[in-house]
Amino acid sequence: MDSFTYVNIFETKGLEYLLLLCFWALFVYLIRYLSTPAKKHKDSHR
Amino acid sequence: MNSNVAPMRTFGDFFHFFIQELKPRGPWITPFNVISIPVILTGVVILVYRFIYGLGSVTNLTQDTPWGLWMGFDVVTGVALAGGAYVITFVVYVIKVEKYHSIVRATVLNGFLAYCFYGGALLIDLGRPWNAPNPYIGNSFGFSSVLFLICWHFLLYMVAEFLEFSPVIAEWLHLEKARKFLKSLTLVTVVLGITLSMLHQSGLGALFLMAQPKIHPLWWSSFIPILFFVSSIYAGLAMIIVEGTISHSVFRKLIAPNSHHSFDEIIFGLGKGAAIVMFVYYFFKALLFIHDKQWEMINDVWGYWYLLEVIGFVLVPALMFAFGFKHRSLNIIKTAAVMALLGIVLNRLNVSVIAFNWYADVHYYPSWQEIVVTLMVIFSELWVFRWFVTRMPVLNSKH
Repeated sequence: MDSFTYVNIFETKGLEYLLLLCFWALFVYLIRYLSTPAKKHKDSHR
Repeated sequence: MNSNVAPMRTFGDFFHFFIQELKPRGPWITPFNVISIPVILTGVVILVYRFIYGLGSVTNLTQDTPWGLWMGFDVVTGVALAGGAYVITFVVYVIKVEKYHSIVRATVLNGFLAYCFYGGALLIDLGRPWNAPNPYIGNSFGFSSVLFLICWHFLLYMVAEFLEFSPVIAEWLHLEKARKFLKSLTLVTVVLGITLSMLHQSGLGALFLMAQPKIHPLWWSSFIPILFFVSSIYAGLAMIIVEGTISHSVFRKLIAPNSHHSFDEIIFGLGKGAAIVMFVYYFFKALLFIHDKQWEMINDVWGYWYLLEVIGFVLVPALMFAFGFKHRSLNIIKTAAVMALLGIVLNRLNVSVIAFNWYADVHYYPSWQEIVVTLMVIFSELWVFRWFVTRMPVLNSKH
């Protein structure tokens, strides 16, 4: 039976992949946030 | 703008008209004039002194620190802030978003003048400025140098910007045929301008690639050209918001009343674009931070300074842009634009001046003469911008 081998995420690309996943999740959220209908004017010119 | 002028048929007509247009208009005693005129005159005196007695007589530059405020702010920062022209022309002429058409002329003019003045400021920083034409005439110049690319791009981009703006000049001179011809060149010059701009914005970053041992690791990266290019996009958008807001206030009489409302919508659109680009830029920075394993550098003064730049002047304004767009708040978007501009100034100065030779015992700081000359360059550009706007159909176009 193979023994368990711990891979340190800081020593591999793991953290960069995690950051990229976070980026895409948040980017999709940001685009959806900015795409939904805007609310009424607050302080723009009338 | 003088709209009751007959078409010019002779050079004499043009000369007479031009002399009339050169004459000052409006009151002389204004807050802007009172501040800017003494600064410009003092700057001219300092420049005369600089060209007679050399750079060392008015600057704190040394052999170890050859680039200071003039290079770091006037050239490296000024060009980034002029990025709005290529972004807006791309949006209007390439992807055909007509909503932004009304700000194209002012933005292109601003970009053109920024390159003339901030790129031109390079001449006052060169130890031997008479050698400046060498890259263009092929006299003993390294063709593989990044500076060679930047020199040519600056020149070609200024020509492209001038051609983009030239229909306005033709309209001012009532040369309708010339205007139509120059207008027909717009798409070609826009595509050329965008290509050149993308390359030299990143090229300015590439200048620092070879300075790796001198720049603090938190600001140096092999991806610095990409960082410079991406940040120039939102710098340009933020600059349009700030410059447009000031123009709409100062030149209110030149703008049709309904344009003010449409400008609000333009600001919201620009704010939305800036939020997305800044968000991408922030993650670029975070990815590079992790990739270069810079955790241990964050817990000292340089680290805190870096966090202030990246979080305080990138992430926070990005979120403010998004929040301001969502909640239709012009004030939040305008505040975010000012913060984004400060962030760009901070970033470019960090790379080129503050974090340059960061390990040195004696740090460079600009002399008062360097600061006055920098202000002189900014005020001179604003004077010329005001002359164009009050004479030519920049803000009140019929076309």
